[in-house]
Amino acid sequence: MRAIPLLTLLLSGWFVVPAHADEAQDWLNRLSQAEQQQSFQGTFIYERNGSFSTHNIWHRVQNGKVRERLLQLDGSAQEVVRIDGRTQCVSGSLVAGLEDTPDSSARALDPQKLKNWYDLAVIGKSRVAGRSAVIVSLTPRDQHRYGFELHLDRETGLPLKSLLLNEKGQLLERFQFTRLDTADVPDDQDLQASDECKTVALDSNKASAAKIAQAWHSDWLPPGFELTSSSAHKDPQSKVQVSSLMYDDGLARFSVFLEPLNGEAVTDTRTQLGPTVAVSRRLTTPDGEMMVTVVGEIPIGTAERIALSMRTVPSTSKQ
Amino acid sequence: MSREALQESLSAVMDNEADELELRRVLNAFDDVETRDTWARYQIARAVMHKDLLIPRLDLASAVSQALADEAVPAKVSRGPWRSLGRLAVAASVTVAVLAGVRLYNQDEIAGVELAQQTTQPGLTVPQVKGPAVLAGYNESSQATGPMANGVLQGQPGWHDQRLPGYLRQHAQQAALKGTESALPYARAASQETR
Repeated sequence: MRAIPLLTLLLSGWFVVPAHADEAQDWLNRLSQAEQQQSFQGTFIYERNGSFSTHNIWHRVQNGKVRERLLQLDGSAQEVVRIDGRTQCVSGSLVAGLEDTPDSSARALDPQKLKNWYDLAVIGKSRVAGRSAVIVSLTPRDQHRYGFELHLDRETGLPLKSLLLNEKGQLLERFQFTRLDTADVPDDQDLQASDECKTVALDSNKASAAKIAQAWHSDWLPPGFELTSSSAHKDPQSKVQVSSLMYDDGLARFSVFLEPLNGEAVTDTRTQLGPTVAVSRRLTTPDGEMMVTVVGEIPIGTAERIALSMRTVPSTSKQ
Repeated sequence: MSREALQESLSAVMDNEADELELRRVLNAFDDVETRDTWARYQIARAVMHKDLLIPRLDLASAVSQALADEAVPAKVSRGPWRSLGRLAVAASVTVAVLAGVRLYNQDEIAGVELAQQTTQPGLTVPQVKGPAVLAGYNESSQATGPMANGVLQGQPGWHDQRLPGYLRQHAQQAALKGTESALPYARAASQETR
């Protein structure tokens, strides 16, 4: 009979390790559900190298409809109103360069998929905005993406704090709530867009997007990154046709911009702005010189390799 | 090996002039009593010549050998599979550390190149402007860069000045407007516009 407690002890010991990883996955599942089920309002800060701003957020879930309004509190009053993840109106300078944004549906956070590229773990507990939180770390399994540290509200699963860390563990950006109210549901007035908020009609030009996706391909992509959208638009100033492709791994994103140079002499560059890198490389194609620019929240070496791997598909093979 | 060659080598070792091969030859022959005697005789002759203090018949080597022979041999440690696994783990972690080191080193190198690139370009433009004009020109360009003024884009004239801010904005906005998991992409996009 003495063997039974011993056996339980052994078995529970056996299950502790996998349970740890599953716990992190459960928390991420709660996070992705919370945005669809939980009404809240609050204030958060965003900080990166050279920039610090404060924002208000109102988020209401009613009859299965998610309505959300975001407003920057300092500097220009930038505003976004979204219904079910679709942008209804934007204000301020957010409008510029938005005309041809493809209207693709949002991709929900998928912990099962993220597990392939990140090690998920619950690494402790903390307190943010006066609420107790669970710290979930997403550590990249390779050098092609950054790590995240998420502090999730113990009560609702909402992200109270999100840190982006590079491979040396240095902080690249901070998103953190200073006040979160999950008891009071935002009313209609809170969610009403101001007059400055300009209605956007995002029309999906699937035909042209498909053509761009066909015209370009990458010899190499960091594992896990997939093409999620592509578009083409004419730059209002230079009248040059710019193609853009966007890739993500379920968490991190980068864009590739392709622009003909028309004989302009341009040098290759690399720059880093907080969490975002921009790498430009010249590419010689049968149609002349092109500039490939990779912009995204990925390590600079990875961006460089992507920029060097972009190729045109010969037009004969398009049919 | 001839006796004479060995004695020559012995002599060379004593005068500290032996090469690697000779030293090896002497060490190999040192178990031989005769060689040791020859060595001792040479030492005496040398001491006499240099008028050094000499303790005759002091044979440290045999004393040490004797002591070693008397000492109990430590029991051989049994090496289970765990031990070898541990060694393997140590080896693996060393490899990882080395690889990580190489990677970091390379990235430092990249950062270095980047720095070099960023410093050479202003160098090209600066000599053309003199005196107070530098200040005026600098103000103007930092105005022109707009939202990027706090970033690293300063000092990269021309094409990139025009294009990169637009690209950064477009990337941030597309990410924000896809209505993803949190308000984070929106905050990133908004921060591109804040000075």
